[in-house]
Amino acid sequence: MNQSALQARQAPSHKTGISVKKWRGAILWTFLTIYGLLTLYPLFWLFISAFKTNAEFMNRPFALPEAWQLENFTRAWASSKMGTAFLNSVIVSVVSLALTLFIAALASYVLARFKFRFKGWIMTFFVVGMLIPIHSTLVPLFILMKQISLLNTYWALILPYTAFALPTAIFVLTAYLSSVPKEIEEAAYIDGTGLWGVFLRIMLPISLPALATVSILSFLHSWNDFSFALVFISKTSLKTLPLSIATFADGYQTDYGLTLAAMTISVIPTIAMYLMFQEQVMKGMTAGAVKG
Amino acid sequence: MNTLRIRRFVVMGLLPSLLIYALFVFVPVVWSAYYGFFDWKGIGEAKFIGLGNYAEILRDPVFWRALKNNVIFVLASVFGQVPIALVLAIMLNKSNMLQRFLRSAIFMPMVLSAVVIGMIWQYIYHPQIGILNFLLDALGLESWKLQWLSDPNIAIFSLTPPLIWSFVGLYLIIFMSALQNIPGDIHDAAQIDGATGARKLFSVTLPMIWGTIQVALILCISGSLKSFDLVYIMTKGGPAHATELLATYMYNSTFSSYRYGFGSAISTSIVLISLLFIGTSQWLTSRRKNG
Repeated sequence: MNQSALQARQAPSHKTGISVKKWRGAILWTFLTIYGLLTLYPLFWLFISAFKTNAEFMNRPFALPEAWQLENFTRAWASSKMGTAFLNSVIVSVVSLALTLFIAALASYVLARFKFRFKGWIMTFFVVGMLIPIHSTLVPLFILMKQISLLNTYWALILPYTAFALPTAIFVLTAYLSSVPKEIEEAAYIDGTGLWGVFLRIMLPISLPALATVSILSFLHSWNDFSFALVFISKTSLKTLPLSIATFADGYQTDYGLTLAAMTISVIPTIAMYLMFQEQVMKGMTAGAVKG
Repeated sequence: MNTLRIRRFVVMGLLPSLLIYALFVFVPVVWSAYYGFFDWKGIGEAKFIGLGNYAEILRDPVFWRALKNNVIFVLASVFGQVPIALVLAIMLNKSNMLQRFLRSAIFMPMVLSAVVIGMIWQYIYHPQIGILNFLLDALGLESWKLQWLSDPNIAIFSLTPPLIWSFVGLYLIIFMSALQNIPGDIHDAAQIDGATGARKLFSVTLPMIWGTIQVALILCISGSLKSFDLVYIMTKGGPAHATELLATYMYNSTFSSYRYGFGSAISTSIVLISLLFIGTSQWLTSRRKNG
């Protein structure tokens, strides 16, 4: 009797315990979802506003567009020479990416597999460079570029992008290659394959996962860079996307639909890449930040 | 394989990376330290003036303003990004649909260029057509409406939400991977000892990822010294130098008046300040860990 009364008393309190927990969970998840939606809102707003007319943009900023103005995009593409800027960004990013991958993989192969004097010093040299704030090199690099007449050329961007991508790339690749067993290459050496052959035919394919990480990181950096382009490029025909969008916004300040459409076009490639390779992008950018 | 060929391969393999890296990262820093001692306009004779540029920087109120603003950015990152990311990381530690969606959403701004981020927030803050003031109007809070970016007293603080917004995702992923690296035994041991909730958080989880938090602090500092794009796009350091950062101060005083010597001295100061900041934060956090 006594015991059953005790049980009866305990049971409801046990139940409230669960429901308090449930409520707490529900509140937590509501909060989290709101936070997530708020995070996405600025981007969502950009996309819907890019399809609006000026009047709609000013009077109904939160509503969906009444008629989707696709012509904002065609006008933006034509009037701001975005095609050229897009092409410039592609050239600069792709060339510096290819250069980074090749020379970083080569250096990493050497650092991961061979013993030689000054190896420790060379590693330290790369680490020290990672502590240098990128913008503190703008003025001296500008002077350097001017003296070797590289200002207003693709190389003025390709070379610094590569240089700043190298430390992280070398660290990621060296760490990866050090974890790969040596048997395959040793077999190749015995078969008489030379060092370059082993590098090109064995080491490069083996390090593909690490190369993917490095590629994402280095591509995003050069695609999104603004400050180097601002300082080294003044010719309109050589401007990259971020720079030309910033200039464009100054020129068409009150044509909002047009400016927002131009911005949307410029973010589509990176967002598409992000949605396709999400895990790798997150991994790559985190590795890059922590090491760099 | 003979040693000569190996040696040649080692040199050939390292040379391209070392050359490009030295020429475009290392040499500029050394050069700017050298040019910092000169009065030089880019053309003509460079005049050696010793520490003259540095004395001028130290006397310039804009420099101190810029330094203060950089400190505000560091504090906003340390007390904005890090706690938000830590809380989110602890809550998003499982992997169901909603959590994966939230993680992706929060990380998304990381892949955008600072130009686009700055321009979006410019529209949000716009005094007449901005959605922030529009929202305040709609909620009947007209008196809260402000000139977010053109009032010198608040402009620098208006710049911190976009900064936090764009980087929380990075710290979230860093903290999540640190949390996943805590071995399962430790959670079991904590449970046996009866440590749950806040107690477990402060005496087990946080100490376990303290090293990662230290890394995050360094990232906040170097990130703040790297913020140039966002501020340049949104305010160009104005109004009246109210949002000047060290990097925009350097840009504005070098390229608007072609004072390369003076700009080089500022560049060198930025390198020294950032090393000082990072050193101090390392010292503070490692002391706290031992104490």
